Amino acid sequence: MYTHELPLRSNLTEAHALSWRSIAEPGAFWTGPERVEMVAQSRAAMNCKLCEERKAALSPFAVTGEHDEIRGGSDLPLVLVDAIHRIRSDPGRLTKSVFDQVVAASISEPAYVEMVSVVNSSVIIDTLHRSLGLSLPELPEAREGEVSGSYNTAAVDRGAWVPVLDADQDLFDTGMPSVPNILRSMGLVPSAVQLFFQTFRPHYALVDIPLSISQAQAEFVAARVSALNECFY
Amino acid sequence: MRLRGSGEKEGRDYDLGAVTSDSGDAGVDQGATLRALTEAAIRSEWDLLDSLRGDAFTTLGEQQTVDALTVAAAFNGITRVADSTGIPLDDAMAEATTSIRAATGIDQYSYAEKSARYDL
Repeated sequence: MYTHELPLRSNLTEAHALSWRSIAEPGAFWTGPERVEMVAQSRAAMNCKLCEERKAALSPFAVTGEHDEIRGGSDLPLVLVDAIHRIRSDPGRLTKSVFDQVVAASISEPAYVEMVSVVNSSVIIDTLHRSLGLSLPELPEAREGEVSGSYNTAAVDRGAWVPVLDADQDLFDTGMPSVPNILRSMGLVPSAVQLFFQTFRPHYALVDIPLSISQAQAEFVAARVSALNECFY
Repeated sequence: MRLRGSGEKEGRDYDLGAVTSDSGDAGVDQGATLRALTEAAIRSEWDLLDSLRGDAFTTLGEQQTVDALTVAAAFNGITRVADSTGIPLDDAMAEATTSIRAATGIDQYSYAEKSARYDL
């Protein structure tokens, strides 16, 4: 996946390669081809005319229309394609109504969570490639197979849009809970947690960050991204 | 905000207001370079980023530049996870950051505020 001279750490490149292969495999609720199309739709959102018009509008819900088609057409429900495009192109203005529309179209909460994991794992990988001046990796070749249907029946309501992982709220000496809500957010689907955090983990740590920049510099970059994406969490 | 925690640990007082602003010096080492790289990456300004990255290789160093962009890429994904699932702040964090969130304008990013602003 990474063929270049840049000083990327091997644990990161190996994790990304593993995630890319994982995306192409059948998941809990979506097939391999469907998961690969989620990545294709996420990429398409970056040049989608409807997404561009929505981003320029006072409300992203004021503009209706159809998203640009991707090569080969789409096998995903339109409402899910719309959610993917919104997540990729205008995350700061996502509201619960987007999630509600997906669920109203008989797409289950766990299936939504799996989509969130696939799309945002690919966002990390694609953003890093573009940021380093590298070509985007080719879409992985989807593998056929049955979905597992596996999800966490013990997930709990913690005020998020979806049920989350049930976990203790013990605090570290950093003042952060031992299992922060962001780690719990996709806990409805364990394989979604696995995919996303195997992609994310080599990039960052809450303490003693294993990078050449200081913890404060990393926190500044992280906080600046949160502000640019208008992320409350 | 984790940046505040880093400042307390290092005995430094970072300007958190500069983080949510499009300008300003938060007081972080090489902050201007980090800000420029991060903003270009998240705004998908790739041509600008190509130029900034080349400059940063000289001023910041190749490894540091790559690592800064590595963090930016990660948070470009994880912020979307938070915003796609409507996850609330952790209780302890919510209590500890009440005044900071109000002062820096972060409260306007809350899901209730966004729904009031954008839902039709």
